[in-house]
Amino acid sequence: MTHTQPVLLETDGPIATLTINRPEARNAMSIEILEAMHEAIDSMRDSSAHVLVITGAGKAFCAGMDLKAVLIELSGDASIGAQLLTSLARLTLKIRTLDQVTVASVNGAAIGGGCGLTCVCDITVSHADAKLGFPEVDLGICPAVIAPWVLRKLGAGVARKAMLMGGVMSGREAYDIGLVDQLADDRNGLTALTHEVATRLATGGPKALSATKSLLNQLDGSLDEATLLQGAALSARVLATPEAQSALASRMKR
Amino acid sequence: MIRVESQENITIISLDRADKRNAMLPGMLTQLVEAFESAAQARSIVLLGEGKTFCAGFDLRVCAADSSGETMRSLLTGLSGVVRAMRSCTGPIVLGVHGAAVAGGCALLGGADVVVANRDAKLGYPVVKIGVSPAVSSPFMLASITPGRVRSRLLDTELITAERAVSIGLVHELVDQPEGVRRRAIEIASQLAAKPGIGCSATKQWLNELVSDQTQRAQEGLDASLSLTGGEEERVMLGALWA
Repeated sequence: MTHTQPVLLETDGPIATLTINRPEARNAMSIEILEAMHEAIDSMRDSSAHVLVITGAGKAFCAGMDLKAVLIELSGDASIGAQLLTSLARLTLKIRTLDQVTVASVNGAAIGGGCGLTCVCDITVSHADAKLGFPEVDLGICPAVIAPWVLRKLGAGVARKAMLMGGVMSGREAYDIGLVDQLADDRNGLTALTHEVATRLATGGPKALSATKSLLNQLDGSLDEATLLQGAALSARVLATPEAQSALASRMKR
Repeated sequence: MIRVESQENITIISLDRADKRNAMLPGMLTQLVEAFESAAQARSIVLLGEGKTFCAGFDLRVCAADSSGETMRSLLTGLSGVVRAMRSCTGPIVLGVHGAAVAGGCALLGGADVVVANRDAKLGYPVVKIGVSPAVSSPFMLASITPGRVRSRLLDTELITAERAVSIGLVHELVDQPEGVRRRAIEIASQLAAKPGIGCSATKQWLNELVSDQTQRAQEGLDASLSLTGGEEERVMLGALWA
């Protein structure tokens, strides 16, 4: 496994696995990572796989947005935040509308946008010691792009608490509120559990699976791209405020 | 009938009719609307009940004494107004349930962002047994828990424990003792108020917008409840409570 490719995509029979491959930055989503993910997801349209597993290389699943990239003081470019958020918004819809059933295999930290990504997937598997959550508000920012997905996954009341309170929770707690669907006892057990779930899903008729997904997407409002883009614009506006920038800067210095 | 305190940058609103288990009167609901409107810019708000229990719902003795249904209409309209005012507050609202949150008392949960309760607290909407429709609360319940669960909670008169309420998403956090609710609710509100920037208020507003398909129907829910007031069924069933 090389670290030079930002995203790895491997196919083994009916199961494809997309690995976010930036372990040195806890797989944080930079423009480069997002572009590579777009490309990998696009390529799934021609794939013979029925199931797509999304996971992270190294210790983390995905630490969320690349904070270094959106800190204007460091990047010198105030437009990167909006670019990242818009790209993320479009990526979520692209993943949601894949024919393949998607499984997020949360190997470690899934934070902010990374945790939002798990809510876009059809099924989330993780382990008791993983860390998941939405600490955006702790940094003075707003998880507007992922909020619609979190609402669909958790129900609005539970989502409200999770996103307004911020912080992170263990894989066990995430399982208790329905953020994680299947839980392994530890990191070692997750590989087997992921394989078990993906293999079971792959026994379904591919047309039956994709037709079911497509119907669910229509029923639960998943195809509403306008709201996602509106969320990206809102999130970018909040991110660019001096208050949010100074909260982010002090977090980076810690 | 209510008490409002300010503690640093949070506002604490308490139902203060402890001798009647904080049963709601029209005037109390008017005061609550005013209190939430005044606190609309607070960084966070706490809603609590004084005495042994959070809130027993409408004061049914007062309702039964008014056969015109006018008191019931004022209470339903007032309740809808309180929940709408709660939703309009910029800062998140933490609601602490100790003992029980019944009927109108439980409806207040529909305006809260975080609900903490003691493990054995009882919650529910047993109002169909007095011939009243809980339709007034349904838009807010639908914006909070799943439609299947809303159905069983609003139609079934059973009271559920807070522990069960957590598993259906109506309550978010448990404390062991009723006495611990106030402290924990204020602690959560202080944490919320301490968050930097506009992240928290922008997030609350965005979440409100995302569920507005339901909450914009608040008037329809209220109208459905109002249409039954002063009717024979309500009068007989309410009267039977003291028969």
